[in-house]
Order: sequence, then structure tokens, then C-alpha cells
Amino acid sequence: MSNIIQFNNICKDFKISVRKKGIKNALIGFFKREHKTIEALKNVSFEIEEGDIVGYIGPNGAGKSTTIKIMSGILTPTSGSCSILGFTPWKDRKQYVSNIGVVFGQRSQLWWDVPIIDSFELLKDIYKIPNKEYEETLNELIETLNLKELLNRPLRQLSLGQKMKCELAGSLLHRPKILFLDEPTIGLDAVTKLAVRDFIKEINKKWGTTIILTTHDMSDIDALTNKIILIGRGQILYKGSFSAIKHKYDRIKQIEVEFKEKYDKIEFDGYEVISHNQNMAVLKNLPETTFNTKDFINEISKKYEVVDFSVKSISVDEILAQLYTELKL
Amino acid sequence: MLYNRYLKMHRKSSFQYKGNMVMLSISSVLISISELIAVFLMFRNFKTVGNWGFYETALMFGLITTIYSFTECFARGFDEFSKLIKNGDLDRLMVRPVNIIYQIFGSKMEFSKLSRVVLGLTVIGISLAKLSINWTVAKVLVLILTLSCGCLVILGVMMVGAGISVFSVENLEFINIITNGAKEIGYYPIDIYNKWLSRIFTFIIPVACFNYLPISYLIGIGSLPNIVYALSPLYGLIFFIPCLLFFLWSLKKYQSTGT
Repeated sequence: MSNIIQFNNICKDFKISVRKKGIKNALIGFFKREHKTIEALKNVSFEIEEGDIVGYIGPNGAGKSTTIKIMSGILTPTSGSCSILGFTPWKDRKQYVSNIGVVFGQRSQLWWDVPIIDSFELLKDIYKIPNKEYEETLNELIETLNLKELLNRPLRQLSLGQKMKCELAGSLLHRPKILFLDEPTIGLDAVTKLAVRDFIKEINKKWGTTIILTTHDMSDIDALTNKIILIGRGQILYKGSFSAIKHKYDRIKQIEVEFKEKYDKIEFDGYEVISHNQNMAVLKNLPETTFNTKDFINEISKKYEVVDFSVKSISVDEILAQLYTELKL
Repeated sequence: MLYNRYLKMHRKSSFQYKGNMVMLSISSVLISISELIAVFLMFRNFKTVGNWGFYETALMFGLITTIYSFTECFARGFDEFSKLIKNGDLDRLMVRPVNIIYQIFGSKMEFSKLSRVVLGLTVIGISLAKLSINWTVAKVLVLILTLSCGCLVILGVMMVGAGISVFSVENLEFINIITNGAKEIGYYPIDIYNKWLSRIFTFIIPVACFNYLPISYLIGIGSLPNIVYALSPLYGLIFFIPCLLFFLWSLKKYQSTGT
């Protein structure tokens, strides 16, 4: 597999004008502005292989959108080089963008009060898609996304989930080689979320489309991809498989224990007590302790009378939260 | 063609709100008519303003109204460029394989302004008929040149405003003052204003080059050689070029700042 996206030491600085309070300063500011430079991206390098689904994650304000904007040719970086499909996005914009599709999660590319199908036809003209190819692709998308009844309705009449389906279809009409999805599942209900995920997977498999998605929903990552790029404060902190990270934190278990009677204080070697309430307690094994059901129950029974207990692995969201805390994001 | 598709989309979109569209069209015509009545009432008291009678002035009014409204209708995307930036639509346009300027033209159209274009053309027609002009091919060409270069001047001002909105949203009122002020000024022959004001609106924001000067040629008055009046609309073209360049430059800046 070859690299379809190559990002080399991309830096992006933003100049922000600092404005002080007061009328006098506002007048001064009209002529002379003080600037503050913010480094949105610092030496960002990564590569993405053709046909991959890659999760681009990080807390708010980490530089995700900036990266997506650079990759889609909207922004010019301050320094560094980038090659996508052999193009430099911000230089060869017009040629380059016909090879990509972009879905910005919360804003639409479809027309608010015109039937969806008309928006699609406008896109057909914009991307100069030949009639036959357009019909084929559209039919395929209608089938997989179940769009038939939606096409003749204007966007304003659609639910959030239906809108997202139409957005996805619209960004794929020209069969892009790369698809950028900026928070594609935000605000969707559980069923639609699953449908959108299935669709993304299917497109990737059927058309070999390379997909880069940003998300805060870790179950998206879990369901769609194993490859992640983690960014924080403008720097790449991790790139590689998500299961490696998961594995690291998978050793941590949460054990909910129900005791026969009420204890004033629960203490147990090698475990941390997260909460304690009446005759219930939640414990967590310390990193140096390896959890083992048999040993655990043997040991704790010596100290307290246990009625019931359940073991839970830490969730992907909690993993990420821990990761962010550890990296001080 | 892509532009036809844009037209069709905007037509469909505005016909979703027919009532709104009709009300807007009527109200904007009424406003224009009231302005024309003000001109008319003034002439009942004064008969002439400088060398200019009512129909000469009405011709100016007609030209200004037609040119402004036509540009406002079809170049709405430049007029409301700050909205395009604010709601992120400009980013959208940039990920499409079509020239940005072309897409901005297609992004917004305000058909309710067309009612004023009709009014303006009617006023031009009536005034020209009443003025008993000796028509020549040259005069017809000058009239066409005036209309088209006039649109370019307004488009240029809009592009400067659009360019500024890349850097600051607050400076927009300033542009509104320029466009609307120029419009008001353009209702009356420019020689009634003080020297500096008339120079500003001849050379810096060349409103005069698409009404006062070419009209002087059409009706055959004025002290300068005829050719100066006849070719004056071309100054609008010269005015437009730096405006366009400024706009393109600010688009480049947008790419590097991404405000």
C-alpha cells in the first residue's frame, strides 16, 4: 500500500489582534493593532495509506479542524510541505479538490429550501460528472443510504440523521478518492449512528475510498477504525493502532462490590476505592496490580463479607479521558 | 451551463416564499418611487437645477436605480460576503473545483431587486422619450457602455467591502455609507455639489462616470469636448481593476489566516 497523504513538518500560526477595552483604545486599535501569534499546529507530520480509515482525534481546540482545512486546500500552512494524491492542496486547489469530498459536520452543503435532488444536480454540474456515471453513483447511494423518499423534500424538512445521510451522499457523488468527515455522527441517535458507520465502512470497502474522520465519539473509532492520530495542543502525540492504547488501559478494571453489612471504611491492598456508599463500593486496581477474579475474591473475602460483585473494563471514553489527563491536554 | 443551474436553484428557492418575494418587490419599488417623487416635487419649485431639468434628472435616477439594483440582484454574494465568511460557506466554496469568483456570483441572488430594475428601465425609457434626443449609433453604444460599466463600478465597491470583511467585520458600516451615499449623490447632477465632493464622486468613487458625464453626452450639454463625456464610462472599468485585485489579494489572505 502506498501513502496517499504525506504531511511533513506542517506548522500553522495564527495572528490574532489583541484589543483592549475602552473607546480610546478602540480608536488606537483602528490604526495600530497589537498582534498575538498562536501556534495552531507545530511540526505536524504523518502519513496515511490508501484505503485506510483513520480517526483523527484530540480535545477541542487541539488543531483538528486546522489540519482538515489544510488538507482540503482551504488554508495555507505557515511552513512545511504536504502531498496528497501528488498535489499540494493549497497550490493546485482547483485540480486537487475534485478528488476529495468534505463533510463539515455541522454545516450543510445542500440548499435549505430546495429539494435535495436539485442540490445533487448542482453538484453534478459543479464536478462535471458525466450523466451515466452520475446516475449509477446516485442509484447506488440511494440504495445503500435508503434515500428514496428524501430526495424530493427540501433540506429544512429533514431530521438531523436524514440530513447527515444526504450530506454524505452529496459529498460522494463525484466518487472522491479521499473523504474528510468532520464529526459525522455528532448529535445522531443510536440507530442512525450505526447506519452512518455501516455506510462509511461499506464505501471504504466497495470504492476503496480513503477516509479521515474527526470525532469525539470514541465508539466511532472503535467501530470504524483501528488507526488513530492523536493531536493535542497542535502537536501529534500518538499515531498508530488504537488497540495498543486500549490494551495499555485494559488492565485497569472497575469492580463493584456489594457487602453483607455496612462498613465505615473499606481498604484493600493493591486497589483504590473510587466510591463507597452504604454497603456498596467501587474499587479499581492500581497499575501495579494485575486483576485476577479468583485471587481478588479470595483476598477480599478474608476481610469483608461479600454478597455480590461485578467487573467492568474501563470504557473507551474513559481511556481517552485518562490519556488526555496524562498528556495534560 | 453551471450558471443556469444556479439561476434555477435560486428561482426555486425564492419561489418557496412567494408572498415574501412579492412583498419585498413591491416595497422596494415603492421606496424608489417615493424618492423619484421627491425629485419631482423639487422640480415643481425650482424648474431647473443648474442646467438640468426634471427629465434629465429622472434619467440619472433611472440609471442609478437600474445599475444598483441589477448589481445587488446578481452580485449579492459579494454584497453579503461577510455572511459567507461567518457561516463557513466560503470554506465550502473552496473545496469545489470551480473558480471562487464564479461561485460567489452563484452563491446568492436577490430576485426581489429586479422590480427596481424594471422601474429604473421604465424611468430611463420615459425620460429618453421626453428628452427628444437625436439618436446616433454612438449614443446607443454609450448608453450600453454606461449601464455595463456602472455595474462594474458598483461591483468594485462591493468587492472592496467584501475584501475588508475578511479582516474585520466591524468596518462594514463604512462601506454601506459609501454605497448608499454614492447612490443618493447620484440622484442629482454632480455640479450642484461642492468641488471636493464632486471630485470624490467623479474620480475616487466614480459615480459620475455612469450618470452625469455620459448623460451630458446623450443630451448634448457640458463644456468639455464630447469625446470625454462619451468615453467617461470606461473610467469605471479602470476603477474596477484594482478593486478586483484587492479582493483576490484578501482571498489569499483568508487562506493564510482563516479568520
